[in-house]
Amino acid sequence: MSAYFRQVCAIVKKDVLLEVRSRDRITAMGAFAVLAGVLFNFSIDTTTTRPQDVAAGLIWMTLIFGGLLGVGRTFHLEAQDGAFQGVLTSPVPKDAIFLAKVIANFTLLYAVSLLVLGVFALFFSLDIGPNLPWIMVILALGSLGFVALATLFAAVSTGTTMGETLLPVLVFPLLVPMVVFGVGSTGRLMNGRPFDEVEGNVRMLGAFAFAAVAAGAVLFRYVVED
Amino acid sequence: MWPGTRRDCTYVSPSAIYAATGVDTNAPTESPTLEAIGLVREYGPVTAVDGVDLSLDTGEFLTIFGPNGAGKTSLLGMLAGATRPTRGEVKISGLPISLSEHDWRSKVGILSHRGFLYARLTAEENLRFYGELFGLDDISDRIAEHLERVGLADRARFEVRQLSHGMRQRLSLARALLHDPDVVFLDEPYTGLDPSAAGLLRGVLNELKDGRRTVVMVTHNLTEGLQMATRVAIQVGGRFVWEQDASDIDFAGFERQYHAVVEARS
Amino acid sequence: MSTAGVRRGATGFTLLGLAGLIGLFWMSFFWVSTEVNQGIVQRIFYVHVPAAWTSFLAIGIAALCSGVYLWLRDEKLDRAAVCAAEGGLVFATIVLLTGPLWGKIAWGTYWNWEPRLTLTLLLWFVFVGYFMVRNATEDPEKGKRFAAVVAIVGAIDIPFIHLSVIWFRSLHPEPVVAKPDGPTLPGDMLATLMVGLGVFTLLFLGLFLFRYALEGLRSEADLRARRPAS
Repeated sequence: MSAYFRQVCAIVKKDVLLEVRSRDRITAMGAFAVLAGVLFNFSIDTTTTRPQDVAAGLIWMTLIFGGLLGVGRTFHLEAQDGAFQGVLTSPVPKDAIFLAKVIANFTLLYAVSLLVLGVFALFFSLDIGPNLPWIMVILALGSLGFVALATLFAAVSTGTTMGETLLPVLVFPLLVPMVVFGVGSTGRLMNGRPFDEVEGNVRMLGAFAFAAVAAGAVLFRYVVED
Repeated sequence: MWPGTRRDCTYVSPSAIYAATGVDTNAPTESPTLEAIGLVREYGPVTAVDGVDLSLDTGEFLTIFGPNGAGKTSLLGMLAGATRPTRGEVKISGLPISLSEHDWRSKVGILSHRGFLYARLTAEENLRFYGELFGLDDISDRIAEHLERVGLADRARFEVRQLSHGMRQRLSLARALLHDPDVVFLDEPYTGLDPSAAGLLRGVLNELKDGRRTVVMVTHNLTEGLQMATRVAIQVGGRFVWEQDASDIDFAGFERQYHAVVEARS
Repeated sequence: MSTAGVRRGATGFTLLGLAGLIGLFWMSFFWVSTEVNQGIVQRIFYVHVPAAWTSFLAIGIAALCSGVYLWLRDEKLDRAAVCAAEGGLVFATIVLLTGPLWGKIAWGTYWNWEPRLTLTLLLWFVFVGYFMVRNATEDPEKGKRFAAVVAIVGAIDIPFIHLSVIWFRSLHPEPVVAKPDGPTLPGDMLATLMVGLGVFTLLFLGLFLFRYALEGLRSEADLRARRPAS
């Protein structure tokens, strides 16, 4: 058990170290978050729509697009350096590699999601104070499910001739539950509704995240072999 | 897991086989350290490896020569457990290797021409990372020792992208041997090395011939490859077309012989 | 099972299915009563719903075969998966063509995010993803593995998507139109629907088996091409 834990930690540490050194994913995703907020502001006709009504949806969509940007490159670096083969031929179980990648990507994406929340709250004058803790939990659950699916399919698309351009095609249809339940709950909470109204949604989001991580952990080995 | 389901075989239990052949299952069996049986690798319509059999005991050093496209890297990939064979199997110490299990991988060290190194990490960080993956206890000591052995002790803090090709090759070697593997696979280790680095490599490889390890090396360098080997094979078109114990080979005339063999099969 | 045997089975299913189809058309056009609100166009229902049911059956079969394929690596399982996926894609397309047609004629809009149609649209994309991934690799074996993963994850996600789409829809209820697939479906409509489900399943199985036989022949031809005549 502890050998497994040690291996997962080593991979997470390595990914974080690489990210800190190159900073390419965090900058891209961070810049995307802010710029998306700006563009969305111009895309809403404030004479017909209140930004507060659509903010939740925009936050989640920004998260998805920005997330694909970052997570899509998970295996890009590994392929470039050819180092991934070294990891695959070491005595690390493939599901440990997957979980480590999910943890590393989740840390990255969750940080960006909080940035997105902050930026949009600022740009659209949202009052999210009262339900903030729950919103943060919901963003965490959504990010986790997203990262699990995106990491699995990033490995798939990196192995195809089409590369990362295939990733959205594979992942978007699968994200419908995340968007529906994520936006549904976040939107209501941002409008001051009580938590018990959205509890069902949050449970579904949790179940989705769990299923995504479990499926990924089992299937990852079949994607990366060879 | 079964490498491929075949419906025309009747299952016979191992104990029945032993009973039939009169083998005493309680006596210790000396199985070859590395064994390959009928290895085939196909990529769609292309057959890269077309039936290779191999049997090496501990202490042996097999050098494989061959022209480009002969399938040497695919073969090495299958032997090292990096690639799943289309047909056939690989055994280490008598046990078939399974790509879904991973404990046996601690016994295997691989030096690939691709390096297996992260460009943005330092030499030391790369080795530490792999040390953790292999579950080693005395990582810092091992790192110091291996960096010393490959002559990179003063470059420990350098990022890999700041190292020359020869240095990266040496670091890859350190990485391959860090966990003290029993079976070592080397894919074109001499390519791109200057004479002094080649000399260093020769020294390290000689140390591997300590009788405890089994080595398989693929190389284009006829001299070095021949010098190291206890057994030599030439691979053309996906199979071993020529195989001999190194002691029976005339070193001086080997180059001519190699070209003759390759020409004959092309 | 020999290819000839499979073909015989396929022919049997297909002929039975086609005969059933004729029967279904007769039932849906001449026998079953007209739905009171939508009129004649509602009869598309007896093609639309069975086609949807079949496409979901298809992803189930594809995912199951894919899962066992990844475990046992028996080529026949992958063959079964791709045949099911193809059938599924065909039937999902039928749903997506008949749905908007029905919608436009019955209540004026081509698309209104009706749960079943939305779910089928997403399922359609899963099938498309399956084939895209299968054909986008240099090593065909890799493509088969990738496609298997797509099928399995797609099948697991379908229930989640189903629930989410229904919940989403419940927020914006449809204008009150008599739902022909409500709990109180009149007897003759129910019977026609059941016949429809049976017929489409037979057709799917026939299609599946023909395709399976074809794939069997193709892989045998590949094998022969690889081995030079001795």
